[in-house]
Amino acid sequence: MGRRDMADIISTVEFNHTGELLATGDKGGRVVIFQREPESKNAPHSQGEYDVYSTFQSHEPEFDYLKSLEIEEKINKIKWLPQQNAAHSLLSTNDKTIKLWKITERDKRPEGYNLKDEEGKLKDLSTVTSLQVPVLKPMDLMVEVSPRRIFANGHTYHINSISVNSDCETYMSADDLRINLWHLAITDRSFNIVDIKPANMEDLTEVITASEFHPHHCNLFVYSSSKGSLRLCDMRAAALCDKHSKLFEEPEDPSNRSFFSEIISSVSDVKFSHSGRYMLTRDYLTVKVWDLNMEARPIETYQVHDYLRSKLCSLYENDCIFDKFECAWNGSDSVIMTGAYNNFFRMFDRNTKRDVTLEASRESSKPRAVLKPRRVCVGGKRRRDDISVDSLDFTKKILHTAWHPAENIIAIAATNNLYIFQDKVNSDMH
Amino acid sequence: MEFKLEAHRIVSISLGKIYNSRVQRGGIKLHKNLLVSLVLRSARQVYLSDPCPGLYLAGPAGIPAPPPQQQPGEPAAGPPAGWGEPPPPAARASWPDTEPQPERPSVSHAPRVGDEVPVTTVTGVGDVLQGGEADATEAAWSRVERSRQAAAREAEGPAGGWGVFPEGSLAARRPCGCPLGGEDPPGTPATTPRTACCCAPRPAEDEPPAPPAVCPRKRGAAGVGGGPAGCPAPGSTPLKKPRRNLEQPPSGGEDDDAEEMETGNVANLISIFGSSFSGLLRKSPGGGREEEEGEESGPEAAEPGQICCDKPVLRDMNPWSTAIVAF
Repeated sequence: MGRRDMADIISTVEFNHTGELLATGDKGGRVVIFQREPESKNAPHSQGEYDVYSTFQSHEPEFDYLKSLEIEEKINKIKWLPQQNAAHSLLSTNDKTIKLWKITERDKRPEGYNLKDEEGKLKDLSTVTSLQVPVLKPMDLMVEVSPRRIFANGHTYHINSISVNSDCETYMSADDLRINLWHLAITDRSFNIVDIKPANMEDLTEVITASEFHPHHCNLFVYSSSKGSLRLCDMRAAALCDKHSKLFEEPEDPSNRSFFSEIISSVSDVKFSHSGRYMLTRDYLTVKVWDLNMEARPIETYQVHDYLRSKLCSLYENDCIFDKFECAWNGSDSVIMTGAYNNFFRMFDRNTKRDVTLEASRESSKPRAVLKPRRVCVGGKRRRDDISVDSLDFTKKILHTAWHPAENIIAIAATNNLYIFQDKVNSDMH
Repeated sequence: MEFKLEAHRIVSISLGKIYNSRVQRGGIKLHKNLLVSLVLRSARQVYLSDPCPGLYLAGPAGIPAPPPQQQPGEPAAGPPAGWGEPPPPAARASWPDTEPQPERPSVSHAPRVGDEVPVTTVTGVGDVLQGGEADATEAAWSRVERSRQAAAREAEGPAGGWGVFPEGSLAARRPCGCPLGGEDPPGTPATTPRTACCCAPRPAEDEPPAPPAVCPRKRGAAGVGGGPAGCPAPGSTPLKKPRRNLEQPPSGGEDDDAEEMETGNVANLISIFGSSFSGLLRKSPGGGREEEEGEESGPEAAEPGQICCDKPVLRDMNPWSTAIVAF
């Protein structure tokens, strides 16, 4: 795959707080924003579909001359700010720099200037005989995007996550070893709130893999580690939150021990539930639901693709074992979703304990087509449409998924394609 | 035995990953390298502790599995091959065939097991590596060793044993005869923090007897135990113990013989890999430091400190697998 093809690979997907906008970032540093079309009687078949709203280049490749390091332009994360006025704002980050973008619409323009003509050229003053007040006339919608803040030089290591605080004034950014707290209006300063860098790097045993603020309590945040643990921290307790308030860890099952136990226990994503009561984590083979009130073990564990457990060595060889899958809650916290290989993604209903495997592909995604549940067979009886484990395509991986905050609409990033699926039958959350 | 082959394969793959990570766009990924280093340690420990008496991994063509009778004659001949008998003289001649391509001249300078590497070569490499890089390499490898021992020590805890493979750990216990459970006596930490298992290689603090002036890099790259491949100090560290020593349970947990042999195994592995690293260090622009296995050395300003090598990279890991196997 050439460099240009790789630039189109989607690296992050995020709905805004209303679900009206959907932002995607890609490896080429671009951000594409989709907007949901309002349902209209004129075109009933296109109600609620997402169209491209704006595209802009968020990050460019950079070169750190001091360290002879190239800084990738790949967008690692996008987080929307809560909307406070007519404009939309989002944070986008690559490995080193976070940027605050403001997205505004312009659908009117002033006409009737006294000193300028229609093209903007200065008028000959002698031709001006009377004064007029310029009026705003409607124009074709223009979406303007401008970088309002650039938060640079805050991180030595690669930024893996950003999270906006519920106070709407601050946000945090996490790299492998440190977490910084920023104020959205201040770019030349950030506060370090977590630092797990050991005094001697030879003693390094774990890194930070993901972090998120609590959705309601502005003083709480969680970060996950490569060892599979979660740490809940309270910023009221101390300025430096190296000491966790709660440590969520599940003891390892000794019967599952292998060379790769550590790799597969590394948490690749952590998400608070909308209620704020639970956390969802993803490691290589499972998704787990944790109750904030219970640190000893998760309350629910779902196997995403346990059939890969016997193939860990091959997956280590082809680097797939390092894939970082994300996970998502639906709006009512009753269903969780995560991606897998072969363009499959999985949904687990926490109430009914039923799960489904679906595929994001062009064939299955004709308009208004219903996704057919897929099955991976692991030997034994094989049904007609089953896929065998050995014929899974490990280059087709769904790492990034997002769920509309209120409705049953999901966005699935399959390499360089974005699929948006809607559950028309059950469009309301329940 | 499958464990050993599997472990060996995983070691090769892991080394390849670490090697390739240095030229990846965007710099070295700390998380991934940390995970790879954990796997590498696990695999190497299984590899070293799995007894497999009588197993000699066949090297590439031209380096047949040396027969046991070669051992007595070898010790005086040159640098030890702790992993088994050094390749017979015929193998040395064929050794260049298995060397990597010329675009990596530093590797061809690398000390070869069984060769009487001229002092000049070693010194040359050593000179090129300034203190920083040597420290980096040494620190990197000592970190590997120490952490591995720390990990092994932790493993001794509640589980009561190294549980990589249940069978493997049991097998590992028996031949070396030392109880895997049981911590070091409190008095030892200052000297050589060993794991409870005597089969652990000597940690970096243990200075090899080789004169530093001659082999500064050797001390760094093969900081563990000593001596190593290519550094002509035959008498100083008897690392030529044949593999079968593994079968003889040494007394106590501090038997020097078995430990040194094990050290030699690792030392050779390290020196191979270390030498390649040092060669690449020399090639890298800016004289910066390498970030190896997730570790960084040097001041804050230099972190992560890795260099994107713009020289052509040898992607084919076969020479490395071959090099490791040959020992």
